[in-house]
Order: sequence, then C-alpha cells, then structure tokens
Amino acid sequence: MSPWINSIVVNLGIPDQTVLILLMFPLVATLVAFFRQVIGIKAFGIYTPSIIALVFFMISDARYESFNIGSMFYDLRYGIAIYIAVIAIGMGMRVILKHFRLLYLPRVAITMTFLSFTVLGILILGAYMQRTGFATMYVFPLIVLVVIAEKFVAVQIEKGTKTALFLAVETLVVALCGYALLSSQTIQNFVFLHPFAVLLTIPANILLGRWTGLRVTEYIRFRDVLAHIK
Amino acid sequence: MFTLLRKSQKILGMNARNLHYVRPLNLKNARAISDDKILSKNVLKKAGVAVPELIAKIGTREELENFDWSQLPDSFVVKPNRGFGGAGIIVLFGRKKGMKDAWVKADGSVVTAHDIYTHVHNIIEGMFSLSGVSDIAFFEERLTLLKLFRPYAYRGIPDVRIIVYNKVPVMAMLRLPTKKSGGKANLQLGGIGVGIDMATGTTTTAVQGKRKIIERTPDTHMPLSGIKIPYWDDILTMAVKAQEASKLGFLGADVVIDRDRGPVFLELNARPGLSIQVANMAGLKERLDRVAGLKIKSVARGVRVGKDLFGGEIEEVLEQTSGKRVIGSVEEVTFIGKDNKRVTVKAKIDTGAYSTSIDRKLARELGFGSTLDAFDKINLSAFSIEKKGDGAVAERVFMKEYGSAIEGLVDVSVVWSSSGVTIRPIVKLYFIMDGVRVPARVNIVDRSHLQYPAIIGKRNLGKFLVDVSK
Repeated sequence: MSPWINSIVVNLGIPDQTVLILLMFPLVATLVAFFRQVIGIKAFGIYTPSIIALVFFMISDARYESFNIGSMFYDLRYGIAIYIAVIAIGMGMRVILKHFRLLYLPRVAITMTFLSFTVLGILILGAYMQRTGFATMYVFPLIVLVVIAEKFVAVQIEKGTKTALFLAVETLVVALCGYALLSSQTIQNFVFLHPFAVLLTIPANILLGRWTGLRVTEYIRFRDVLAHIK
Repeated sequence: MFTLLRKSQKILGMNARNLHYVRPLNLKNARAISDDKILSKNVLKKAGVAVPELIAKIGTREELENFDWSQLPDSFVVKPNRGFGGAGIIVLFGRKKGMKDAWVKADGSVVTAHDIYTHVHNIIEGMFSLSGVSDIAFFEERLTLLKLFRPYAYRGIPDVRIIVYNKVPVMAMLRLPTKKSGGKANLQLGGIGVGIDMATGTTTTAVQGKRKIIERTPDTHMPLSGIKIPYWDDILTMAVKAQEASKLGFLGADVVIDRDRGPVFLELNARPGLSIQVANMAGLKERLDRVAGLKIKSVARGVRVGKDLFGGEIEEVLEQTSGKRVIGSVEEVTFIGKDNKRVTVKAKIDTGAYSTSIDRKLARELGFGSTLDAFDKINLSAFSIEKKGDGAVAERVFMKEYGSAIEGLVDVSVVWSSSGVTIRPIVKLYFIMDGVRVPARVNIVDRSHLQYPAIIGKRNLGKFLVDVSK
C-alpha cells in the first residue's frame, strides 16, 4: 500500500473498500470504452455495464489470486440470477402493460413495483431454504439491478425486443469482464501501491477516443466486402 | 494479415463515420433540419427539390379535437414529425367504399377516423419521438409505386439511398421492402439493399438485412442485378441539391420515384447506415477519401464527378457472373514467341475477323525470322487458286510439300482480299491480354501500313466480352 493511501485509510478512517472502488472505477469505465470502440460490443452505454460490474463486486465480495472463471460464476450466481430475472420481468411486463396504453414513466414505475416485490420474494424464498447468501446482500446493489430494468425497457421500446435482449447479453458479458478486473487481487494491489497510475486511463481514453479503425465486430460484418475488394 | 489491414482502410466503420464525418460535418443546426421532417420539407422545397406535399398538421390537443377528418383525401400518409426508424407511420391507400371517414391500409384492414384520432393523439404525446418529448403529427401525400418496381417490392415503396459528400454522390443503393421487413424499406428490419453503379444507375449486387448476400428477391424470385433505375441523373442531382440546401456535409439522401411525379425527395439522414457498403461490395472510406478536398463548383459538376469516379462496378460484376473479362476495342497485348521472347503491343480487337494476325516485323521480334525466311523462298505462284473451295485443298497440298521443311510453321491460310489471293504462314504462340493467357495460332502478314501491328480475331476471344465504348 502506498504511504499516501495508508494515511488516508488509517488516519482519516475512510474505508479501504471505498478507496479501492473509487480507484478501480476508472479502469472499469475504460474497459467498457475499449469494448465499444475497439471490439464493437455495444451494451447499454457505459454507465449500465460499469455499475453492474460494481454491483457484482459488492454482492460477491470476492478476491481472486488468479483468473478462475468457474469460481467467478459460482460467487456471482445470485447476482446473475437476479439480473436475468430483472430482464425477464422487464420483458414480460411490456407484453402485459401494452394493453393498458400507458405513458412511459407510469409504465416503468409499475414495472419497478413488480421487480421490487419479485426481488423481495426471492430473498424470502432464499431465507426459507436456508440460503443465507441472498439475505446478506446489501440493498443498494439490489436497487441498482432493479433500475437496470428501466434501461432495458427504454431500449425495448426504441429498438425492439430482439435488440434489447441482445444488448442485455452484451451488457452482462461486459459487466462480467469488469467484475473480473475489479476482483483481481493483482490489480487491486497495484492500484493501492500506485494510485496515481489510474490517471493513465486519461491518455488511454484519448487514444480510444481518436481510434478510427474498424471494430472487431465490423471485420465480421464486412467480411464479404473485405474478401471482395482488391 | 497486412492485406486485411490495408483493405480495412477502405471500409468506413462506425468509429470513423462518427469522428471524421458525422460530428465535424453535420453540425447542430443542420441536424436540427434533418430531425424535423416538416422543416426539411420547407427547406428542400425552397431549394427547388420535389417533396411529398404536406396536407395538414396537428400539433396540439385543441387542433386534434377540432380537426375535420372529411377534409383528408382518399389516400395519404400519417407521420410523426420527429419519428425515427419508420415508427409511427401509417399509410392509407384509399377510402373505404361508401364511407366518408374510413380508409383502407395496404393489408386490406380498415382504419377509421377514430383510429387515426388515437394514433395522432399518441404521436403528439411523444410516443414515437426520441426520449418521449411531445411531437407534431402530419399528413402528407402518398407516393405511388412505379410499375417497374412492382415485382420487386412487397407492399411498401422502394427508395434510393445516396451518400453525398462534398457535393459528390459517392455511393448509392436501392432499398426494397420485403415480407420480412413488413413492407418497410429498412435494412435493419430485413429489407433488401441493392448496390447501384454510379455511372449508369444499374443495380449490381444485393444484401438482405445486415449481411446476407442474395441474388434474387426472396418473395418473388426476381433477379436483383441489372435493374436500370429510371431518372438516374435527376435523382443524383436532387441528392446533391439537398445536401447544399440542408448543409449536411455527410448526407444520406432518400429519394422515391413516384409513378406520376418522378423522383421525390423523401428524407434527409444525418447518420446514414454502413450496410450500403455490403450492398455495393465496395468500401465507402476509399471513395470518400478520393472526393475529399475536391473543389466542386456546381451541382452538375458534383454529379459528373460522382459518375466518373464511381462507375464501372457493372463490369466487375459482369466479369464475375460470366467468368469473362471485359475488354475494349484496342487492348495492350503481350505476345510470347519462341524461347519466351516477349513483345507488348497495342492490338485491335476485331470481332469481324476470324483469326488473329500479326505484322511481319513483330513476328521477327518474336523469333519467327527463320520461319519467315524459309517461307519466302517458296515460289507461291505454283499454287494457283481460282475458286474459293480450292483454298483448303491448296493449304493441305502446301503443308504436305513444305510443312516439315519449315521450322515453326504449323499451317498456312489462304486469304482472299482486294489485292488478290495470298497465302499466309501460321505459327503457334501465346498472348496475354487483360491478365489472361491465351494459346493462339496466328497468321503473319505485312501490316506495316496499318495503325496496329496486331489484330485479335474472334477465334481467340472466347474468354472475353468486348465493350465497344471502352
């Protein structure tokens, strides 16, 4: 731990978890930007996948010495389950509420109500089944997952269910990558040791922001054209 | 790997489109015009571009309550002013028989004034506008389907999308509605995009949806290449005019050809999609780079430049489908003679001649000097040929007598011309034309007084198509 961070945590009493998250968040955001500009995975903008990565991190509270996809999914089983439930309910409510011909915000509010009760139901069910893993979750990450439904519904109205589902899967993939980054012991140690190295994300993003080459997904999209032109 | 990287430079991706074209060239006030359909209509009309006629508009609840539905014509279109992706548009084909306020849609279903009232209500509440802000609903003239397009289009109306940059139309495609796209000419919904040769306005290759290459329409099995788009020059002119008027530096122009009115400008697009590159099997970036920085002084000049620079894809397509190369009436040809001696000359392509002839001088350069010398020593007057039918006999007799004695000679040919009968020696060689290697038996003759030292006859043109305008 760098002496500066040490003094913040020890002398000022700011929780090290908070410092860690604040230092890691720019890295996650940069990762999302990289996914969009270079690879071409769109997801729901930058906020949604970053915040979900963070929520996953807070829910699991795990640290990995080395990258291990199996234990990662195991630690995130509740988080992923709730994410899928949120998307499924967002979709289902659209079909049901369509017949009522409601304006946008009241419609989303009704969806939120259903989601809150569903999550509450899952927690109660978990408690009955002696699954303490659910009950110990913080409420804030749960609320964030519920809010994701709004994003989903908005895209669904604008671009259709198929696109929205596709983007939801992309968001999950990007969030999981962000989570892997956040929970890596090596990277955590590094940012504690060199907190100002995080500022390197600024030049990195300037480069990403000027990147005009084809995205990886565009190589696939235009592969027939690429094969055809001389 | 490096070729892939080099090739990828020719294609316009999302990053480059936004950073180099949309953002710096389509400024806020220009986008304000393209996002507002009624405003675009006015701006374009003022610039002398034909647009669908506005019938009426409704912007408030009050106007909606007081609207006289019987004033609407038999057929019209209802649109949200700030709609996107074709959402919220209803097309009404005609009045229901005997009813004053009921109309029929393309699928035959009946729409009453009350249905339109509800729809307009939703539009002004912002159901179809970005981020749900309140909007204006408007009624406009319905454009009618050109007879030519009837077998290609499912229900809706095809349109022509043209990318205009720096006053030059750089790429175009014909967009066809399909059953899958629900009668909308939108590629993302499963519509068809057909590439267009800029010079001639003839369609080339086609794509359905984002990247499925097709050759025929899925619903009616009509071949998609070779459709000649009518009013092609007018359409290009209209697109360039629209760019000038709208001040969108990077414009996707949508033009519909109406059965009665001809080309009518439908929509300005500030963020044109990239699939047009798949439809045309060509890179947009490469074309934009070629046009960048040109000083285009007039609309007509811009159209001219676009046609000159980006025509000619037809030829490639023709070569691909027929497997034949398209050549002009004069081509550069490399002859390969004895001992691999190579000589490159301009040759006349003559589909009226049966065989290929080369000049004596060229034959000597190719190493057939000794053959010629030996041939010249023979007293040809011994072969008196009177009637046409005797030619073949004479050739056989000649070859029997001298064939083995003259090195390199494979045959002779008896030719009648204005100067009488001549016997020409024939040798075997190869020539390379437009990258194709052709084995040929060519006759040698004195062509020193003619413009080209060689003439390629139809016997050796089997692998080529001749374009006389080239």
